[in-house]
Amino acid sequence: MKLPRAATRRRVILTTTIALLSTLVLSTTAPVSSALADQTYEPIQGRGSTWSSGAIDQWRGAVANQMSVNYTADGSSDGRANFITKIVDFAVSEIPFQTNPTDGSTPEQPGTDFAYMPIVAGGTSFMYNLKIGGKRVTNLRLSGETIAKIFTGKITKWNDPQIAGDNPGLAMPDKTITPVVRSDGSGSSAQFSLWMVNQYPQIWNDFCNSGVGCAAGSMTSQYPVFPGAKGQAKSDGVAGYVAQDYGEGAITYVEYSYPLKAKFPVAKVLNSSGYYIEPTASSVAVGMLGAAIKDDLTQDLGGVYNNSDPRAYPLSSYSYLIVPTSAPRGVFTEGHGRTLAAFAKYSLCEGQQQVGLLGYSPLPMNLVQAGFSQIRRIPGGGQLDLDINSCNNPTFKPGDSLESNQLAITAPQPAACDKKGPDQCTTGTAGAPDETPISGSGNGGGSSDAGVNAGKAGAGTAATTAAGGSSSLATDAVYDENGQLVSAAAGGGTAVSAPFTLASESFGISQGLMLAAVALLLLGVFLPPFLSRKLRRSSSSPR
Amino acid sequence: MSAVTFTPRADVRSTPPASGPRRIAPRAHIADRIFQSVAVSAGAVTVSIMLAVGLFLSLRAKDALVVAGPSFLFEQAWSPETGVFGIAAVLFGTVSIALVAMSVSVPLALGTSLLISEVLRGRLQRTLISIVDLMAAVPSVVFGLWGVFFLQAGIIPVSQWISTYFGWIPIFAVTGADGARLTEASAVTSSAFIAGLVVALMVVPTQTSVMREAFSQAPVGEREGALALGSTRFGMIRAVVLPFGRGGIIGGTMLGLGRALGETIAVYMIISPIFTINWEVLKTGSNSVSALIALRYGESSDFGLSALMAAGLVLFLVTLVINFTASSIVARSRSGASS
Amino acid sequence: MTTLLPGAPDRTETTEVIAPAATRIAPTRTGITVIPLRDGVAPAERRALSTVTTSSVFDVVGALAGGAALATLLFGWFAPLTGVVGWLLVAFVSFLLIYTVLASFTSTREEILDRVVTVLLGSAGTILIAALVFVVAFTIIRGSEALPHINFFLQTMETTGPLDPIDSGGIAHAVVGTLIQISIALAITIPLGVTTAVFLNEVGGPFARFVRTVSDAMTALPSIVAGLFVYAAVISLITHQRSGFAASLAITVMMLPIVIRASDVVLRLVPGNLREAAYALGTSRWRTVWHVVLPTSRSGLVTAVILGTARGIGETSPVLLTSGVTAVMNINPFQGPMISLPLQVFTFIKSPEPGMIARGFGTAAVLILLVLLLFVIARTIGGRGPGQLTERQLMHARAESMADVARMSARRATLSPLGHDRGLAVPPEPAPETEDIK
Repeated sequence: MKLPRAATRRRVILTTTIALLSTLVLSTTAPVSSALADQTYEPIQGRGSTWSSGAIDQWRGAVANQMSVNYTADGSSDGRANFITKIVDFAVSEIPFQTNPTDGSTPEQPGTDFAYMPIVAGGTSFMYNLKIGGKRVTNLRLSGETIAKIFTGKITKWNDPQIAGDNPGLAMPDKTITPVVRSDGSGSSAQFSLWMVNQYPQIWNDFCNSGVGCAAGSMTSQYPVFPGAKGQAKSDGVAGYVAQDYGEGAITYVEYSYPLKAKFPVAKVLNSSGYYIEPTASSVAVGMLGAAIKDDLTQDLGGVYNNSDPRAYPLSSYSYLIVPTSAPRGVFTEGHGRTLAAFAKYSLCEGQQQVGLLGYSPLPMNLVQAGFSQIRRIPGGGQLDLDINSCNNPTFKPGDSLESNQLAITAPQPAACDKKGPDQCTTGTAGAPDETPISGSGNGGGSSDAGVNAGKAGAGTAATTAAGGSSSLATDAVYDENGQLVSAAAGGGTAVSAPFTLASESFGISQGLMLAAVALLLLGVFLPPFLSRKLRRSSSSPR
Repeated sequence: MSAVTFTPRADVRSTPPASGPRRIAPRAHIADRIFQSVAVSAGAVTVSIMLAVGLFLSLRAKDALVVAGPSFLFEQAWSPETGVFGIAAVLFGTVSIALVAMSVSVPLALGTSLLISEVLRGRLQRTLISIVDLMAAVPSVVFGLWGVFFLQAGIIPVSQWISTYFGWIPIFAVTGADGARLTEASAVTSSAFIAGLVVALMVVPTQTSVMREAFSQAPVGEREGALALGSTRFGMIRAVVLPFGRGGIIGGTMLGLGRALGETIAVYMIISPIFTINWEVLKTGSNSVSALIALRYGESSDFGLSALMAAGLVLFLVTLVINFTASSIVARSRSGASS
Repeated sequence: MTTLLPGAPDRTETTEVIAPAATRIAPTRTGITVIPLRDGVAPAERRALSTVTTSSVFDVVGALAGGAALATLLFGWFAPLTGVVGWLLVAFVSFLLIYTVLASFTSTREEILDRVVTVLLGSAGTILIAALVFVVAFTIIRGSEALPHINFFLQTMETTGPLDPIDSGGIAHAVVGTLIQISIALAITIPLGVTTAVFLNEVGGPFARFVRTVSDAMTALPSIVAGLFVYAAVISLITHQRSGFAASLAITVMMLPIVIRASDVVLRLVPGNLREAAYALGTSRWRTVWHVVLPTSRSGLVTAVILGTARGIGETSPVLLTSGVTAVMNINPFQGPMISLPLQVFTFIKSPEPGMIARGFGTAAVLILLVLLLFVIARTIGGRGPGQLTERQLMHARAESMADVARMSARRATLSPLGHDRGLAVPPEPAPETEDIK
């Protein structure tokens, strides 16, 4: 029987479609196999910390020509959980596995076939968004106790005497502080709460005992979103919230690289020698000289918090790569191990060259050396050529002794105006290099690392808005919560604006007058038509 | 006579009752049998996939539910790691966001659907129908983007305005822990109100579509009758269209409600998750089951995952009840009977 | 219940097509009274009720101007009010008041109510359409910073660091990921979904009712829960890694009930007499479905699938849990993470850097345009009801029937001399081209 034409055509179309599809499938699978043949590195995947993701993203991009490393920054807790379930090749975390948690949570059980390897140092910084008289503050200073009280809800206003005491050069506005904390499980939260547990146990324990959802005397990855605070997910989230216009008055804890990227300032934190220090690469390097490294390479930061060097930043810490030491392990194979080892080597050596620019601090020689021994434990990492002398790391030169750290040696001393006292440096911090004019009672001064900052931020665009002309002159200026100038004592002839929100709840005379005016206006609009109609009707009816 | 001869023949052939359709006794054709079995097995596969989802969720959720017990419904905190967890606060947040969304979207959808079906004619009507239908397909992440980058900042004065002048109504108040009124911009960002507005825009096209569909089916005869009795257009709408389309209104609302409860990304991007019940919708801090899952799934241990499954299961059951209620209401209504 | 799918094909027809009675009513024979089908059939064109007179236009315009002026006065001079939104609100309320007063000059109370309600409906529509169009326009305008860069479509984010300018890196990997994921999801959903819908309509029985209930129930499944299911059941237990395939499975679980439901509605619209005709010709069940039911509802099915696809492409939450995030091109769905467009948007805009946010908006704009394209395709194909043909299909069908006529008359010509008068009453071969003629 002759096939009808339509059926023939349909069959032809069908065959062509199948042919096209199969060529498509072939063409898509072909590059994979050829690529695998050419390239000795298999793609690997990792998850974890957002704290150190800036550095990892940089390395990932730099080695992309040779190997494909996928990294998802979803928080340290996420990285560790995924490592336990073996669905990633590696994890990145600020804190080790919580095998003996003290806050009553169930222990993490990672097994034994893994190793910690420090990859980068950095400072947990306090990024904030604050304006005085419409001009962004870039030189805020805070003591550790103030910070602890802010993040436990004890200090709620920017003009709190304790903050004002830290900042003699700033007339702090009467504005509510919005502490922005991480809503997901995070290594930053863990490091920050560990610091509070260690340094200000009383404040932390009072906080936890008030029933906000943490255990007294124990650090937590899940920072409680206490009343008055705002929870945001990931480092991106907290930094992003603070950087919004409506984030004015907000402060958060986040790695130094985020305010750099977002072009925002960070608070200088008071160290144990009485200097307010910004978490630059060198001050973190100095701070980390106080860290005690345990056998499994994890850190004990007690010495960092109380490092007596005037250049040290107290909230410095290392971030860790967690690597498997046996294969196969879930998705991890020896082939993946080779990629992971090569990537780890790159990150310890050449990779450290760029981290300073990003807002981290490169690893010192002893940790690179120790990291090498961990790389050798990665299956597939044995045949890698690991020579400390060919390692192009900025903290040491070939032949240096293990303990030396070039960065720490060359770190500048803090400026005199950074010392606790009546003077306050006006130089900007982190991503906001603009100077902040003196508005308080203190005197100004230039910070030594100002130039470093400006260069580091690479920022052409200043995020500040034009200052309200009189604000730098008026010594006794009073600002309302929006940072608007309410009254300026010495600002002769300055226009003083009425604040938007009604100052008092009470129904005053002015309100009554306004209401009467409104009522009159409405009457004026709506009465005439009615009246005219009435009048017309009454005038026309007699006729 | 002929009838007498006819009847036995019918008996012999066992003709089916004359009223019903003729019964077809098909030959057991091989192709037909294959077709039948393929169709049945497709149905079986579909059902098994879906039952697998339901069963798996229930089984995995069991661990957490056994540990939490009935307090799962009443506990506000969420800390499966320490064994203290419940969905009271999370579910409350979910519902409050959905209710805010409904209170904005239902009037808008009702008005727009009446506008399209009753007022507009011709090209404008067709264009509007297309726009609304197209908007129903816009990805939710787009609405989330708009919410975060435009609405969040733009809505602050509105929230402040409402809380200033209507703060005496408890749910519109914005107060701090000590009961004092908050006027800061930061006190009204990341709130259930903002998330609700975004979700409202997301569901309103679907609701409009369903309602317009119902209204457009109102019988012309009844419309003509109402008009002939001298009613105005609104009189006709009130007397004919609205009663006829009641099923559509309820169905559309419920459908939107179901989607609003399950919305993840936009809510995740906007809210500041808290684990306490917050009655003040304008105040910062809310939560939703789906946002909680998106936030915590990765870092959860096995047990934590089980707790999230339990939360997901509760959400599923809630939307299920809403969907079935909606479909039964619509099926019983006049407008819903035809489709 | 009406269909869950927005804009499912049966929607628009009912309002627009006032069907001539002949198409809906079964063919009548003379002498038999036929009760016309009342369901959804309009006896006549609906009356146009709008009465636009010059004065009513002036009323609206005047009230608008008056409302705006009054609000400005209140804001500028009389009351302590600020803010654009407050102004809009006050202006709207004053507009309504003034309009009511104006209307009251000429109308009775019923008419006033009618006019005010009409204005309210108009404003609801305006607000809604304006808001929706604004959402889309906002995304596209903010995205236009990234869109003009050709590299945005051709490159991946593999070598692009956080600080690189916008003319480096792109979203090619996300586009490819989306296409692969949705293709796999469709490869599962279309056969399974349409076959299930056929099962529901053509086979029936208690099991079919059960299947329909279950799939209706599954439309209520929140998409994040579908993702969580795949994460816990497939990734944690079986594959041990996030992959494009896992994401496809999550999308499938989400899309399947939608497609089944929409196809079910479409298949239900196939006129029963077509089936009856096919059966009457002795066609088997399978051939009836393949040659009559499916071709008749082809456009509707395509629309159902495309609209389901649009939903599937745009869903972020299931892929957030299952696909993993990557910056490199991955065309192997079974190995390694594979990002898709919505997830890429989500990843980009989490970043505080303006460049990344611009890329995020650009990606969202691409996503919108993709959905828009799918929607337009769906409208072009599905704008017609079952059995309605395009010009080309019509020409084709005509040509086919002409060929049939020629063939039959040729046959008749050869048969007639032999005296077979009933030659045409019993066609020599059952017409295989039922669906083409239709």
